[in-house]
Amino acid sequence: MIANRELEGIEFLWETGLGERFDAYRSETAAPEPLVLAAALVETALVEQRLGAGVADPAPLLVADLCLARSSRLLAESASQPVQVEFARAVEAAATAAAEGGALPIRPRLLAILRAAS
Amino acid sequence: MIKTSRLRFETGGSTDFVDLTARLQEIVAASGLREGRVHLQSLHTTLAVTINENEPLLLADFEALLERLAPRSVAYQHDDFANRVGILPDEPVNGHAHCRQLLLQPSATLLVEDGRLVLGRWQSVFAVELDGPRHRELALQLEGEAGASDRNRDQIRLELARQLMADPEPIGAPMRRLVESGGKRLRPLLVMLTAHVGPRFDSLRAGVLAAAVELIHNATLVHDDYVDESPVRHGAATVAAAEGPERAIAVGDYYFAKGTRLIAELGEPAVSLTIARAMEAICRSQIDDLALRGRYPGDREGYLQVVQGKTAALIAASCVAGAQLAGAGDHTVARLGRYGELIGIAFQMADDVVDFSDHSGKPLGQDIRMRTVSLPLIYASEDRVAGAEVRRLLAAEPREEDIPRVVDLVRSSGAVERASGEARRLAGQAVAELEALDGELDGVRSHLVQLATSAVDRLV
Repeated sequence: MIANRELEGIEFLWETGLGERFDAYRSETAAPEPLVLAAALVETALVEQRLGAGVADPAPLLVADLCLARSSRLLAESASQPVQVEFARAVEAAATAAAEGGALPIRPRLLAILRAAS
Repeated sequence: MIKTSRLRFETGGSTDFVDLTARLQEIVAASGLREGRVHLQSLHTTLAVTINENEPLLLADFEALLERLAPRSVAYQHDDFANRVGILPDEPVNGHAHCRQLLLQPSATLLVEDGRLVLGRWQSVFAVELDGPRHRELALQLEGEAGASDRNRDQIRLELARQLMADPEPIGAPMRRLVESGGKRLRPLLVMLTAHVGPRFDSLRAGVLAAAVELIHNATLVHDDYVDESPVRHGAATVAAAEGPERAIAVGDYYFAKGTRLIAELGEPAVSLTIARAMEAICRSQIDDLALRGRYPGDREGYLQVVQGKTAALIAASCVAGAQLAGAGDHTVARLGRYGELIGIAFQMADDVVDFSDHSGKPLGQDIRMRTVSLPLIYASEDRVAGAEVRRLLAAEPREEDIPRVVDLVRSSGAVERASGEARRLAGQAVAELEALDGELDGVRSHLVQLATSAVDRLV
C-alpha cells in the first residue's frame, strides 16, 4: 500500500498512467515497493515531459519535475548508493538521447536496475 | 588577483542605454574581489561605455543630444558604398553611430571597495548602443585583492568546469553558457563554508557537493526559464530561447540527475536525503507559484509558502548538507539550516524590493509584468488607501501603461519600506542563529555573517 504522502499533489497521475506503470514494474520484479514507485515516477515524468517526443506545456513539466524529485527522495530514503547512482545515470542517458534528437525507452534500463536490487 | 571575462547582452533599439550596474555588482561579488578595480572595454566600434544617472527622461535627453551632434539623416562618407572599398554584403549604414562613439568612451574603470563597486547614489554603469539592436560584448578585467572566501569560489569554479567538461556537447554547451554567465553562487559557497563546521572537513568532497548543488539549482532555472518564457538570464540567452524548449527540458533533466548522482556518489545518505527533500519542496512550490498567479498578487501566507520552497529550501539545504558532510552535530546542523532558510527568504524579499528601485538594472516593475509573487505588491494590495486600486490594476494581465501607476502606488503606500524592514529583520535573525554556535564556526563565522548582510545591503 503506497503511503498517501507519496502521491500528494500528483494523485491524478495514478489514473492516467502512473498506476499502470507501477503495476508493470511490480509484476516484473521483486524490488521493494518504494523502488518500484520510484521507477514508475521516473517513467511517468519523462512521459509527461514528452522527453524526446515534443514539448510539454509548463504545467505538466512542473508536475513531471515533482515526480523526478519525489523519485529522488524515495531513493535517498530507501535505496542503496549503487541503485541511486544507476537511476540517475538512466535519466542522464534518456536526456542525452533527447538532446541529440532521439528517444531512449527508459523502462528496460529501470527494470534491469530493479531486478539487480531485488 | 587578475581575472578576465566577457559580459554579453542584447540591446533593444537603434540607440539604447543598457544599465549593467546590477550585473557588474554580481560579477564582482562572484569573483571574490574585495579591493581593486574593474576595467570594462567595449569590443565594438558602435558601442560605448558611460556612467550616469538612470532616469528615463535624462536618457531621452542624451539620445536627443547624440542626434543633434551626429544626426542620422546627414550624409557620411563612411556610408558612401560606391566609393568605399571592402564593403560586406550586409554592411550597415551607420556613419552616424561611429561618429557618436567618437564623442563617448569605449571603456571605463570602476573602483571596488569591500567587495562592492564604488558608485555614487545616482550613478549607474551603462553600455550605450549606437547602432542596434545587436548582440554585444564587453571585455572585463578585475584586478586587486581577493577576499578570504576567494579560495572557495575558485574551487567551485574549477569543479564546475571539470564537471561540465565531460558532458555531451548538446547538453553541456548550454549549461556552460548559463554557468559562465554569472550569478551569485550563493548555494555552493554556503556548502563550502558550512563544510568547515565539523570534524571531517574534506575540501575535494565539499567541492563536489558544492558543484552538484549549483548544477541542480541551474537545472531548475533552465526549466523555470521555459515556464516563464524568459529570453535572457544574466545577460545570456536562456536554453529555451536559444536551443528551444525541447532541449531545455532535456538539459534540466540531465543536470538534475547528474547533480543527484554526484551527491549519491559521495556516499553520505543524510546529505542525499537533505538535497532530495529540498528538491521536492522546490517542485511543490513551483506548482503553487503557477497557481498563485491566477489570484495575483496573493497574500503573505501564500508568498512565504512559495518563497520557502522556491528560494529558501535549497539555500537552507546547502547549509545543512555542507555541515552533514563534515560530520557536524545535529544541533549545529539545525541552526545552520535555520540560518540558511532565513537568509534565503531575506534574499528574495530584497529582490522584490529592488524591483521597485530605479537602479535595479532591470526594467522597472518587471515582477508586475511577469506576475511574479512579490511582497511589496502584496502589502500595497492590502493598504487601506492604495489597496483597492492596486488590486483592480493587477486583477488581469497588466497593461504596459498601467505599470508605472502600480509602481507609484506601491511606493506611496509604504509597502517597500515595510518589506525592506522585514528582510532586514530576517537577516538579523539569521546572524543571531550563528551567535548560538559561538566557538563552532572558527574561520567561517565572519563569511556567514557577511553573506547574511549582503542579502539586504542592496536596500537603501
